[in-house]
Amino acid sequence: MLPLRQIPPSLRTLLAFVGLVFFGPAFAAPSPSLSTLSSQRSTSPVPAGMVLLPAGIYVPLQRTLKDAAQINVAAFLLDELPVTNAEFLAFVTANPKWQRSKVSPLFADSSYLENWTDDLLLGDQAPEHAPVIRVSWFAARAYARWTGKRLPLTAEWEFAASAGYTRADGKNDEQLSRDLYAWLARPVPPILADVATAKKNFYGVRGLHGLIWEWVDDFNTAMVTGESRADSGLERDLFCGAGSVGAKDTTDYAAFMRQALRSSLKANNTTSSLGFRCAQVLPE
Amino acid sequence: MKTLSLLTLTTLFFCISLPLSSVAMAKEDAGTTAGPIAEKDACCKPAPVVTPKPPACCAATPIQNPQSQIENFTRSSLYQSDGTFTDDSGKSFALSSLRGRPVVLNMFFASCGYACPLTVTDLLSIQGRLSAEQRSKTIFVLVSFDVTRDTTAALAQYRAQRGLDAQWILLRGDNDSVRELAALLGVKFKQEADGSFAHSNLVTILNSEGEIVHQRTGLQGGLAEATAALASCLK
Repeated sequence: MLPLRQIPPSLRTLLAFVGLVFFGPAFAAPSPSLSTLSSQRSTSPVPAGMVLLPAGIYVPLQRTLKDAAQINVAAFLLDELPVTNAEFLAFVTANPKWQRSKVSPLFADSSYLENWTDDLLLGDQAPEHAPVIRVSWFAARAYARWTGKRLPLTAEWEFAASAGYTRADGKNDEQLSRDLYAWLARPVPPILADVATAKKNFYGVRGLHGLIWEWVDDFNTAMVTGESRADSGLERDLFCGAGSVGAKDTTDYAAFMRQALRSSLKANNTTSSLGFRCAQVLPE
Repeated sequence: MKTLSLLTLTTLFFCISLPLSSVAMAKEDAGTTAGPIAEKDACCKPAPVVTPKPPACCAATPIQNPQSQIENFTRSSLYQSDGTFTDDSGKSFALSSLRGRPVVLNMFFASCGYACPLTVTDLLSIQGRLSAEQRSKTIFVLVSFDVTRDTTAALAQYRAQRGLDAQWILLRGDNDSVRELAALLGVKFKQEADGSFAHSNLVTILNSEGEIVHQRTGLQGGLAEATAALASCLK
C-alpha cells in the first residue's frame, strides 16, 4: 500500500471525496447506531460476552389496526452467543430442582435435556460448547435470573436478528438470506455445532440465525391459529376484531416461521432445536 | 417443517377487547412504546446487574427436599410458582395460600369492554349453580393483565361494580408474575397500542392442590362442565 504521505495533497482530497461517495451510503444507514454505540460504550462498559444493541425500531410482523405500526426498542445488552450445554450444566448443578430427573412437569416436559446423558453429565449428544436445547421457557427464564439477566423480548430479539452480516438492514443482505434459507431447508442435525462456528452479524451478535430457534420472554404474545402462510387474518370465529389483523411483509418467510413456532409453544415445551440467550437492561 | 404442523394443533380462543374511550385517551401519549417497552421497564427492575440471585421459581423448592420446612406441593401444582400478587385491599397475596380449596381462576383486565365482563358473568353463574355448602368452599380468583392501570383501587372499584362477594379474590401483580402465571395456564395475551389487551378466553379450575383439572375455552357454553369439574373437587 502506498504511504499516505507520498500521495499528492490534491489526489488525497480526491481520494477522500471518492471514499465518501462510494462508502458514504454504506455507513449512512448505521451511522446513528454506531455513534450511539461508541457514546454509550464510553460511559458504561459492556459486560464480557454481551453485545450492546443500539436503540432501534421493530416493525411487528402481524398487527391489528390498533397496534402501533412500529415499536421503539431501547438500547439493551444481548448475549453474543446462545447459552451452551456447559453453561446450563453449571446452572442445574447450582439449582438441583432444574435437573432432568427432578424438574416439575409443570415447568418442563418429558424431553427436557433429553440429549444429556444424565442429570449432571452432558455426554456425546451434547457437546460442551454446543447450544443448550430441549429447555423450556421456565428453565430458560430461571437460568437468566440466576445470572442476573432476563430473556430478550420479541421486539428486541427480532431487532437484533434483523441485521445482516455487514449492514443493519439484513433483508438486503443476500449472503444472510442464502444462509438462512439453507438452514431452514435442512433438518436439525442430531448433534449441534459449536457456538463458535456462528458468524457475527452487523452488531456483533452471533448465531441468531442458522443454529437454533430461541425463546423470548414474551413468546406468549404470539397468537396464530391457522397455517401461517395463509394466516394473514386470524380466524373470525376465534378472535374478536379478527378482520383487522394483517401482516406487513409476507415475504419474510423466516419471520413467519418464528412467529408460528412461538404461537405453537407452551411454556413447558422443549424441542431439539430450541434454546435461548439472555439479555440485560443497560447499566446506568 | 415441524413447526408448521405443530401450529395446527394450536386452537386458542382470543378476544381483542374493545377499548374504553377513557383508556384510549390515557394511553395516547404513550405512543408506540406502549407494548414491549413498558413491559421491559417493569421486568428489568428485579434483575440486578451485578449480583446473580436464584431464580424466583427456584426459591421455593419444596418438592425434592423432604427436610424442607416449606409444604410439599404436588408435582403438577401451580402453587410451586411463587409469583407475587396484591389483592384489592392492598395486601400481598401468595397463590399458594389458596391451597386446600378448589379455585376458579380467570385472567382479565378491569377496563375490558367485551370478553372479561361476559366471563365474570359466567363465573357468577357458576357460583349460582353451586349449593350453599359448595359455594362456601369455592374461591373465585381474577388476576389482571393490566399491571399499570389495575391498581388495588381500580380492582376494589371493579369488585363493587360487579357485586363480587367475599369468595372472590381480585389480584394484581408485577409483570414477571403475571406473565409466568399466564404461561402456566396457557393464556396468551398481548397489549395493544391503545393499552387494552388481546387475550385468550380461558377459565381454569384448580383442585385443592392447585392442579389444573379443567379449562373452559372461549366465551360460549361450558358452564355445566365447569360446574361439574368444580363439584368433583369438592367431593
